Amino acid sequence: MVNGSAAAADGTPGPVVRVPVSLRVNGAERRIEVDTRTSLLDALRDALGLTGTKKGCDQGQCGACTVHLDGKRVLSCLTLAASADGRDVRTIEGLERDDGAPHPMQEAFARHDALQCGYCTPGQIMSAVALIEEGRAGSDDEVREFMSGNLCRCGAYPHIVDAIRDVATGGRRA
Amino acid sequence: MRSFAYVRAGTVEEAVAAAAADPEAAYLAGGTTQVDLMRDEVFRPARLVDITRLPLRGVERRDDGGGVLVVGALTTMEELAAHGDVTTRLPLVREALLRGASPQLRHMATVGGNLLQRTRCRYYRDPSTACNKRAPGTGCAALDGHHRMHAVLGTSPHCIATHPSDLAVALLALDAAVRVHGPDGERAVPLGEFYRTPGSTPHVENALTHGELITHLEIPLLPPEARSGYLKVRDRASYEFALASVAAALVVDEDGRIRSARLALGGVGTVPWRVPRAEELLRGARPDDDVLRAAAEAALSGAEGRPDNAFKIGLGRRAVVRMLGALARGEEPDGAARGEGR
Amino acid sequence: MTPPTTTPTPPPTPARLGEGIDRVDARVKTAGRAAYPTDTAYPGLAHAVLVQSTIAAGRITALDAAAAEAAPGVLAVISHENVPALREAPDRSASLPPPPLRDDRIHHHGQTVAVVVADSFEQATEAARLVRVTYAADAVVADLDHPDAQHDHDPFGTDGGTGDVEKALEAAPVRVEGTYRTAANTNNPMGPFATVAHWEGDHLTVHDCTQGPSRTRADLAATLGVPPEAVRVLAPYLGGGFGAGLRTWGHTVLAAVAARQVGRPVKLVLTRKQMFTSVGHRPDTKQTVRIGATRDGRITALDHRAWQSLSMTDANMEPVSHTSQSSYASPNIATRDVQVRLNVPAPGSMRAPGDAQGNYALECALDELAHELGMDPLELRLRNYADEHPVTGQQWSCNDLRACYEAGAEMFGWERRDPEPRSTRRGRTLVGYGMAGTSFFFYQADCAARVTVGADGGAVVESSGMDIGTGTYTVMTQLGAELLGLPVGRVRMVMGDSSLPAAPSAGGSGLTAAMGTAVHNASRHLLQSFLDLVRDDAESPLRGVALDGVRAEDGRIVRTDDGRGEAYTAMLARHGRDRLSAEGSAEAPGQKGAVVPTGPYAAKFAEVHVDEDLGVIRVARLVTAAHCGRVLNEKTARSQLVGGTVGGIGMALLEETVTEPHTGRIANPTLGDYLVAVNADIPRLGVRFVGGPDPTNPNGTKGCGELGIPGTPAAIANAVFHATGVRVRRLPIRIEDVL
Repeated sequence: MVNGSAAAADGTPGPVVRVPVSLRVNGAERRIEVDTRTSLLDALRDALGLTGTKKGCDQGQCGACTVHLDGKRVLSCLTLAASADGRDVRTIEGLERDDGAPHPMQEAFARHDALQCGYCTPGQIMSAVALIEEGRAGSDDEVREFMSGNLCRCGAYPHIVDAIRDVATGGRRA
Repeated sequence: MRSFAYVRAGTVEEAVAAAAADPEAAYLAGGTTQVDLMRDEVFRPARLVDITRLPLRGVERRDDGGGVLVVGALTTMEELAAHGDVTTRLPLVREALLRGASPQLRHMATVGGNLLQRTRCRYYRDPSTACNKRAPGTGCAALDGHHRMHAVLGTSPHCIATHPSDLAVALLALDAAVRVHGPDGERAVPLGEFYRTPGSTPHVENALTHGELITHLEIPLLPPEARSGYLKVRDRASYEFALASVAAALVVDEDGRIRSARLALGGVGTVPWRVPRAEELLRGARPDDDVLRAAAEAALSGAEGRPDNAFKIGLGRRAVVRMLGALARGEEPDGAARGEGR
Repeated sequence: MTPPTTTPTPPPTPARLGEGIDRVDARVKTAGRAAYPTDTAYPGLAHAVLVQSTIAAGRITALDAAAAEAAPGVLAVISHENVPALREAPDRSASLPPPPLRDDRIHHHGQTVAVVVADSFEQATEAARLVRVTYAADAVVADLDHPDAQHDHDPFGTDGGTGDVEKALEAAPVRVEGTYRTAANTNNPMGPFATVAHWEGDHLTVHDCTQGPSRTRADLAATLGVPPEAVRVLAPYLGGGFGAGLRTWGHTVLAAVAARQVGRPVKLVLTRKQMFTSVGHRPDTKQTVRIGATRDGRITALDHRAWQSLSMTDANMEPVSHTSQSSYASPNIATRDVQVRLNVPAPGSMRAPGDAQGNYALECALDELAHELGMDPLELRLRNYADEHPVTGQQWSCNDLRACYEAGAEMFGWERRDPEPRSTRRGRTLVGYGMAGTSFFFYQADCAARVTVGADGGAVVESSGMDIGTGTYTVMTQLGAELLGLPVGRVRMVMGDSSLPAAPSAGGSGLTAAMGTAVHNASRHLLQSFLDLVRDDAESPLRGVALDGVRAEDGRIVRTDDGRGEAYTAMLARHGRDRLSAEGSAEAPGQKGAVVPTGPYAAKFAEVHVDEDLGVIRVARLVTAAHCGRVLNEKTARSQLVGGTVGGIGMALLEETVTEPHTGRIANPTLGDYLVAVNADIPRLGVRFVGGPDPTNPNGTKGCGELGIPGTPAAIANAVFHATGVRVRRLPIRIEDVL
């Protein structure tokens, strides 16, 4: 049983409780110490300097903070860093190949102009990569439904569908 | 967010002991409700007991009766939706799962936590407002506030908050039960006895006492000849809670009469809403329009609307007729609602 | 510390202007390397969190910060009781908000009453909860129809028209009249607004979510009482704005104040909930439109009145009815705007401010007239085409709305429409077709830019303005390449920095015309500078040649007469220069001449499906034909139209900021309760560009950033009527409206 320090006093702000967290992030072991309240999102951005993952709402309602946790797409804003201890995390920074070449999904997003302001884009791409792995890019409607957890206020949705279908069909979608 | 101690449990017993020992402790599983409400200052636990590493993940089939799925409470929504028996024998469960939340949330949220998710009522979630569910005795700001999404069934003068779960509606229709491990041992609670309408104690939502942990769900399978489905009506095409939803299962005999019917409603009740009276009306009847309408009337019987949400009564009835009619005819219930034909 | 280097990398391949090259910042954005203001880190960074009021009107009677100040990690709690003096900035725009924490008075729910600064974000958030504020509440006026609300008449000086509308209405053989309402909408860019403020001595660096760094610098300097040269505002990227970044809001000022007070860099990020109360929104409207017409469909009278909400303390430039002065030919036109003072957060611009609401009412009224006349809605519009400005009689600089109608109708298959409402169905699905036109307003402000060619033969184009996702980085790169005769890959665009030549804010669909003209002029000046450099250079084939006798191509300036010329690199090398720079500027064109500069145009055609039993409404198809002048990049321009249309679909069917009339509290300040469209709501959206270049500016452009919104709600509302036979005169149109 892992135990993170003493309980805070009743009602009033207790002392800050910090816990060690070990994560495998984009293939590398990272050890940090975090406030128990720290989200995985804030830990990635502030403690590890991986600012590609974005905070859009901090309430699980926009998808901007999507990362892969143990291979599944999740929302890092509602994941406590402490609870992610020992797990494997993949972020947008881990998508490029070792030689720096972009992932096919990143290329497809650029080619189809599936982004505008770009803020939701890392979350969209992480979600899109997972979508293909989940086998849910079989039709435009399926992509629309299973990409609906990622809001885009610039309205790039139709181009996001194009980009994903392009990758899913091996580039047959011009 | 209040500073809290963090404990990660290795066994169910350890988890229950840690939670039971601290009246201000709470469990953490998928976090999609717990962390959200802590951030909104609705929950302020002094201690979180992380149960994510407990061996409560996975689905087993028990072949007593017509077959029962025993689902570990930490199984995620996506995992349960993908299970073979759910796909073939429980379409209403699969559809309820896949129309809930978003893919990311479904990969995080556990089925145990899903049953315990809290209302989306914005007054409950805003500590600056009056809410009997969050702060007993302070009143209910929703009564005279914005309540378009609120409940029309099972309400009280103290609370009209809607229960948000889709899964619970499908499970209620199936007579599912939860297995609970607590400081005093284990017990099983049928879902029909699990939820509490608000009455004068809206803060009491279910049968759990402090420290009790849902370890498993027991979901009876439908007979292979049953048709079932989940219809969810909402403004947005996806990633939204229901304005009204219907979980239903029918077995129709060769002579065209309904042998058995199961019906529950979501989005309209303070708790997931089973309708035994409507099921009785359907049993032995032919599913013609009059029968379906009578069942729908019965389903919304006793509903009370307020200015913003009165439309839900008629909408709920229409959804019941649509769902039952589609099952009887072997059709999809929501073509247009799912963007058909573009 | 300098922010990470994340300048856009243009593609290596040459490309022509107009061609849809990939946006030059796509690579850094898809890699997660684009540095948004909220990504900025400094050593010793402290975190600030706002405390906002829980009443909408009254006074603060006590503010007890003791518990917050005693909480772990807290560095400061700043309220009206201890905030340093802030100046009222000169009111250049009539829309600068008053300084934050001015006094103890509360004017709206969610007004900032304090800012808490702590070592960590978690500590600041928890301490903010501990600030105890006691209020004396006054009666709340938060409803557009409230009898006690103060009305400001003709607040923009735009009321007017021509002829005698009342008389013409009385005489008209056919009349339609309707009252339309549009809900308040909230911009909700995906990136919560954030400010990172850092003082070094008396010099302030601010990383801010703004649509205009120059503007923010001027506002901050004035409010803080420091010289503008002491302030630098950086915003290379912005996580969307849609108008929310057109003002310098209180949180930006407070981040600077907090950083000075605690002597550390401070980051302040608004919560999503605070994004509903702190950075503007589209005000709700009530509008009446009355139209008189002949039986053959000639409009003889058009009267449009609009009431919109406004906060107690701010101004907001948002003409709603004004669009009816320029949209259709009519001998009698009158438009009037009223702003209604309420205890609501300050409204501000949101994509197509005013026009989005006004166009909806006008275009629905046209549809009602067409139905009344038994006439095709498209034919009605053609019959009342405004060949010149209906009120002033000015000639349009360039108006190809007619081509939009034709192209859109053809793309959509409009001729297949059965005019009878509720006549088309597929099973339980009612199918409706609707259309609308848009004559969007013209806007352009003064702009400056600098163009530099270096010893390597590559160019840098600089201007302080913002690419808020519209594609400005890309089109200015293309423009610079064309004007200087360089491959796109040899031109680098630098923006989002107030220390660069001043650009206006990205708004009003006016930045491409303004900056494009400035870049054009700067490029011409740079070519002249090169010619000046070699004027007496015996070795140069360009010696003594005038600017109108040369062109730029392949990294060279060449004579148009004999094709001789030389490379930039050769001229620089021979004269021992490592670079040559030139600035250029553009002034806003006048609007009083015989020819009036005109904005872009569009025609929209929508197909909706309505579930007959359940009332669920989905847009099945929507096509846009747009006249945007010369399109600099087909790909990014298309994205602007598509994106605006997505916003318009949200406005039509989903988006509503609900304010409780009795409390002034916003009831749905989350992205789960305020519904923006998700991917599954959006069908394939057809876009076609038609029409010619606009002679108002040398590049022939018109704006296209907002054109996707107006017209879309009306086309959908008209399609819902056609599908169901139910005329809903309120946005958003919801399930219960059509049951």
